[in-house]
Amino acid sequence: MDTAARPEADTSLIDDLKRGDPGAYRQAVREYSPGMLAVARFYLDHSSAEEVVQDCWVTVIDAIQKFEGRSGLKTWLHRIVANRCKNKLRSSKREVAMDFSESLEPELANRFNATGRWDLPPKLQFHDSADTLMENGALSDCLDKHLSALPETQRSALMLYEAHQHKSDDVCNILDVSASNLRVLLHRARQKIFLMVETFQETGEC
Amino acid sequence: MLMCRDLAEIASDYIDGELNRRQSLTVKMHLMMCKDCRTFIGNLRASSNLLSVHSASRPDEQFLRQIDERVAEALNNRGTKGSEPD
Repeated sequence: MDTAARPEADTSLIDDLKRGDPGAYRQAVREYSPGMLAVARFYLDHSSAEEVVQDCWVTVIDAIQKFEGRSGLKTWLHRIVANRCKNKLRSSKREVAMDFSESLEPELANRFNATGRWDLPPKLQFHDSADTLMENGALSDCLDKHLSALPETQRSALMLYEAHQHKSDDVCNILDVSASNLRVLLHRARQKIFLMVETFQETGEC
Repeated sequence: MLMCRDLAEIASDYIDGELNRRQSLTVKMHLMMCKDCRTFIGNLRASSNLLSVHSASRPDEQFLRQIDERVAEALNNRGTKGSEPD
């Protein structure tokens, strides 16, 4: 859920953070760092991303005093991380490489014939709910493996949109991508996960 | 006419409700006639739901403790500064 959807919990946490309560910081660090790291990994390598997230938390101690709650706490934190990453990229004159040319994964595109009909249609239906599927430890491990193999750009877009439940506009803003490019990133990433689950269900192998 | 490949290209837009009414209707009509695409859309949606319940970028506890330490240090410094006379 977006933090804006549970303002009471957020307001109380924000008040505690403003007071400099160490316990509130420990709670917030655990709740928000995964998303902050997903944002940072969109722009930077792993160790630089961790460094930025750590630095951001130190910045938050002073910055939170001016936080007026116009956005949710999560969105605010993610923007701080994104801005810091963009500055870092600017100073190193590096750019994030992205490919938006194709919306279909080659492995999926090859499953259609020349007329645009399925040549190799999906055979199995994923009957189980997401919760039931995730109870399968092997599938969960496989998902981890495939997620870490995704290009950072696709993974961050996917994590912010699916796991951290940001709205499209927020994701575009935080990752600095256009709405149409976000659609491509999300669709490519989902297709890879679809192909992974399909292989897993058909063969039991990751 | 919307072919299966065309539908696969815009499947995420359909799932997320990002298509306009006309496009969405075209997809729905195709889905009524095409079992393979119904399976595909259902499976793609299930894949996307999987990610909602699976938070993959879980930082390790050591990293979180490093943040705790830096935050605690910064809070202490602020406390010390605050108690200094003007």
